[in-house]
Amino acid sequence: MEQIIVNGVVLSATYALVALGITLIFSIMNLLNFAHGQILMIGGFMVYYVYGVFGLPYAVALPVAAVVTGLIGFGFEVLLFRRVVRVATREENSMLLAVGTALLLENLALFGFGEKQRGVPSIVGGVYRVGAAFLPAGRLLVVLIALALIVALLLFVQYTRPGRAMRALAQDREVTYLMGVDVERISALGFALGAGLAGIAGGLLVTLSGVNAGIGTALSTKAFIMIMIGGAGVVAGAILGAVVLGFAEAVGYALIPGSTTYLLIFVGLILFLVLRPQGIMGKPQR
Amino acid sequence: MYFECRDLCVHYDKVQALDRVSLAAQQGEVVALLGANGAGKSTTLRAITGLTRASRGEIWFEDTRIDRLPPAAIVARGIAMVPEGRHIYPFMSVRDNLLMGAYLRRDTAGIRRDLDRVFARFPRVRERLNQQAGTLSGGEQEMVVVGRALMARPRLLLLDEPSLGLAPMVVRDIARLIGDVNREDNVTIILVEQNARMALKVSGRAYVLETGRIGLAGGSAELAGDDHIRRLYLGG
Ligand SMILES: Nc1ncnc2c1ncn2[C@@H]1O[C@H](COP(=O)(O)OP(=O)(O)O)[C@@H](O)[C@H]1O
Ligand SMILES: [Mg+2]
Repeated sequence: MEQIIVNGVVLSATYALVALGITLIFSIMNLLNFAHGQILMIGGFMVYYVYGVFGLPYAVALPVAAVVTGLIGFGFEVLLFRRVVRVATREENSMLLAVGTALLLENLALFGFGEKQRGVPSIVGGVYRVGAAFLPAGRLLVVLIALALIVALLLFVQYTRPGRAMRALAQDREVTYLMGVDVERISALGFALGAGLAGIAGGLLVTLSGVNAGIGTALSTKAFIMIMIGGAGVVAGAILGAVVLGFAEAVGYALIPGSTTYLLIFVGLILFLVLRPQGIMGKPQR
Repeated sequence: MYFECRDLCVHYDKVQALDRVSLAAQQGEVVALLGANGAGKSTTLRAITGLTRASRGEIWFEDTRIDRLPPAAIVARGIAMVPEGRHIYPFMSVRDNLLMGAYLRRDTAGIRRDLDRVFARFPRVRERLNQQAGTLSGGEQEMVVVGRALMARPRLLLLDEPSLGLAPMVVRDIARLIGDVNREDNVTIILVEQNARMALKVSGRAYVLETGRIGLAGGSAELAGDDHIRRLYLGG
């Protein structure tokens, strides 16, 4: 029982980074980032190479993962999405583009990193006992890093000038132009931040479960599940969705054999969405 | 001329919304822009702030041509707009709404002073400072969006149908507010209204848009006495 809670907390904290990243991009760009899982995967590989292969400290590898994936997000916004969001008359256009970027990243990763499953040595040694459960120090560190970043992001969005501009953009794009906000710059910044969070989450997850070039789609699906549970575009909803999914997985893996867990999660999700399509904290459609 | 549009044309795809619209404002004036629904009033204001691009014509403000500038640069030059339909940020606090208006300013002390001025002008806004703006009444939201525009310290203020959907008593408050802002803050104002009676009362001059063209222009007092205007916009 305690072990389930410990595992649930570890997963929830990491997933919350994923959900917050995709929520940030969703609310600022009105775009469901289908490439989110692939960006996560890239973050995982960055840590694998910098820390696992080149032997540099994890404290260097994780920022590298953040910067590389942040730049990918920035580049996507500036080179691709900016134009499409402006000229497209239908939301499907940017959605298709997002799917395209996901495939692009996945194939580049297959080409560059190969098909093998990769793991990294544990970042710190030692195991803590929490009641009857074991908590490896590496996992504790993952939780602490994830929590610190979540708090930092929430403070940034709530109290800084660019953070306020991002919230403004999410609520009313046109009026935000009238406030003098450089909407293009803030959009690119938001995309970079969301992608960077995904990269960090990938760099944390690789220490738990490794990485391979094909995990992107499954991770994107998890991100979508989280924001569907919590309610798309709502920060508190993203965190709640992450906690629900993290604990569902922890319970499932402890009590139910293998792949049945996700089958049950999907069935549960469908039933839930029939009853409450906007998610737990979602706003009803305008 | 302090502010001027010359031969402004705007097209939405193939539909022409504005056809050679020319209008001007002297510094310190309140100018009304009247017209029926769909005449092109909002399009005119959107072209001025760069939200919609003019396909022809020029816009000049304080001796600078501004019609090729992006909206942020136009706002930075001292033009603020309150768009049609009271676009507050519904999930932001009233305070953050007001601070968004001061987005381009770096003078913290000045921002604080101007917040106090907004509070003095709208005591009800101060009481609701930490409330989500979406929970305010229509009249209160109008105060917040006007307050937000004033937080930018504009020298030219564009108001798009501020009286829309408000009770007659609140409309009177808005009319008084427009006069106050114009006099006390020395802000030039272009007021778009369908409520011609109110607009002609608070403005010195007025233009009437008719399907994308300026049909009539003149002193507001004369227009208020004009038979054509009375029939069309003032209900007899
Ligand atoms: N985004 C748009 N796309 C196409 N046509 C538009 C758009 N906005 C306005 N129009 C058209 O332009 C004309 C002028 O509209 P508008 O400026 O909103 O008028 P008003 O503010 O005077 O009611 C109308 O015929 C309207 O249908
Ligand atoms: Mg209009």
